[in-house]
Amino acid sequence: MSRTITIDPVTRVEGHGRVTIHLDDQGKVDESFFHIVEFRGFERFIQGHPYWQAPNLVQRLCGICPVSHHLAAAKAIDQIVGIDPENLSPLATKLRKLLHYAQIFQSHALHFFYLASPDLLFGMDAPPEKRNVVAVAAENRDLAVKGITMRKFGQELIKALAGKKIHGTLAVPGGVYKTFKKKDRDYFLNGNEIPNIETMIEWSQAMVEFMKNYHAGNREFLDEFAAFPSGHLGTVKPDGALELYDGRLRAIDSEGKITLADVHSDDYAEYFLEAVARWSYMKFPYLKNMGRKKGWNRVGPMARLNICDYIPTPLAEKARLEYFAFAGKTVVNSTMYSHWARLIETLHCAEVINVLLHDPDILGEDDLVREGRYRQKGIGIIEAPRGTLTHHYEVDDKGMITRCNLIVSTTHNNDAMNEAVKWVANKVISKKDTITEGMLNQVEVAIRAYDPCLSCATQALGKMPLKAELYDHEGNLIREIIKN
Amino acid sequence: MKKILLLGIGNSGRADDGLGWLFLDEIEKRYPGIFAIEYRYQLQVEDAELIRHYDSVLFIDATQEKIPEGCAIRPCESSGSFYYSSHLQSPEAIVYLAEELYGRVPDANTLHICGYDWELGNRPLQAALENLNRALKLFHDTFFEIAVPASQEHKSEPVTL
Repeated sequence: MSRTITIDPVTRVEGHGRVTIHLDDQGKVDESFFHIVEFRGFERFIQGHPYWQAPNLVQRLCGICPVSHHLAAAKAIDQIVGIDPENLSPLATKLRKLLHYAQIFQSHALHFFYLASPDLLFGMDAPPEKRNVVAVAAENRDLAVKGITMRKFGQELIKALAGKKIHGTLAVPGGVYKTFKKKDRDYFLNGNEIPNIETMIEWSQAMVEFMKNYHAGNREFLDEFAAFPSGHLGTVKPDGALELYDGRLRAIDSEGKITLADVHSDDYAEYFLEAVARWSYMKFPYLKNMGRKKGWNRVGPMARLNICDYIPTPLAEKARLEYFAFAGKTVVNSTMYSHWARLIETLHCAEVINVLLHDPDILGEDDLVREGRYRQKGIGIIEAPRGTLTHHYEVDDKGMITRCNLIVSTTHNNDAMNEAVKWVANKVISKKDTITEGMLNQVEVAIRAYDPCLSCATQALGKMPLKAELYDHEGNLIREIIKN
Repeated sequence: MKKILLLGIGNSGRADDGLGWLFLDEIEKRYPGIFAIEYRYQLQVEDAELIRHYDSVLFIDATQEKIPEGCAIRPCESSGSFYYSSHLQSPEAIVYLAEELYGRVPDANTLHICGYDWELGNRPLQAALENLNRALKLFHDTFFEIAVPASQEHKSEPVTL
């Protein structure tokens, strides 16, 4: 009897997705899909608004990574007022970077401590009531407190810069609207009210050590679980260093061969196309010259470590070298290494924040905003926590937006998440007489490693029902699981 | 004087879901500086760290529940039950986490205000605003009277929104 297994929604991801696995009458996996069924609409909704509203409007795409959308849009809108990234004032660039790295720091902390750590600490067969951060808090108080404090540090820094932890404002067309005050800066340096940035670096290092030790005891799992070859995409500085705020687009194949050679963000449209599928609202971006099947790339922490030549902060660079030494490869294609890579980036962000907080330029009073010659097109590309994020706007001669194209990080990972689901379906679920909850959880573990933000990827409105369904080959519902 | 935190949950772009925030706006107008106020779309794990710094916390949210009086204040008991999503915690789970992680739990209560319309929209229904008015009165007559010394009381005014 053929069956269809549905996991709806996938839990502990940002937004809601649904997985269906179709088994044939032998119990072997026939097909599997990771569906995104939320509504998409921001690209259309924003048309007709004045360009200067974009950096604030697009923040509403997400409550987790609004800063990334704010800054990607701001970079695009800078171009509309005639300012390319290299012409922004040093003060504005540094304050925006500080905001950006604070955002990635808190987002990575959220993902690791709140979402991923239950999978690593309790294992995939742990009962569902244990696979959550409350159980982590009960059994590993120190880890939970550190996680919460690290997220708080990042959010407090965002609040100090943008006025609010969520949906604040720092960037305006051509710069920033305010500077940083000494007392704000000292709050993050002196450690009087919250642990200071030095402590954040120390804790980030400890988390990287945690993953190294975890690797020692779980190497096979990390190496093999949902491992498959793919391309990798991210941005780098001209010398090949990891760059998260303003870099050139670089992609490699699964063995490290360059497939996109340090392309300027303005030229992205020459190299990328986006496909659609009837079973998902989420798009599938791919490299034009490689075609739909071979041209898709993973993005995010693991991809970024794969494509860069080095990390330009010493502790994170040391951690990167150890990561590749432990992996025994120069390109990592194992999904679960994403968690490790994310923690190395967390450390990198803490180091960058430390440098920026000690830079006297961030306390400057002048040169907040610059203006150039008005243009009718702007493109901003940034490395968001989950990967390469593209905002592209076109405006008419009155400054009203006529076109908006968003390639959100999670959409780049769309194919990868589908591959990960397929891997688990074939290796874990296929030909099994009984499908256990633990088996289904492994599907979610594979997706969760990509830290998908489905709300961003589809620009969603509304909420999804919460259920898992099992159908026979005639479409009859034979099992239903309510997950909340 | 007790340190009191009012934590309003909601979304002002979702009609009656904005009641929690409107409640805070009104409290700030009527009793400036007396309460610490925080606006939230959803409660998150780190709110456990926040509430531990207070003697008393009141979570305010719109509810789909049908309450004859239009609103209700209830004790918020610690509970380890956990919602499936990362960014949506119950007040009870936040209190539980504060107890587990920091060993300190403020006196916690929830204020439920009945709403009816959850679609996109900036303004709550008139019926929901009437419930908000009732909630402000209830807050003044019960929670506020206990929490703030009589010498600092302010008169409760009707809501005009």
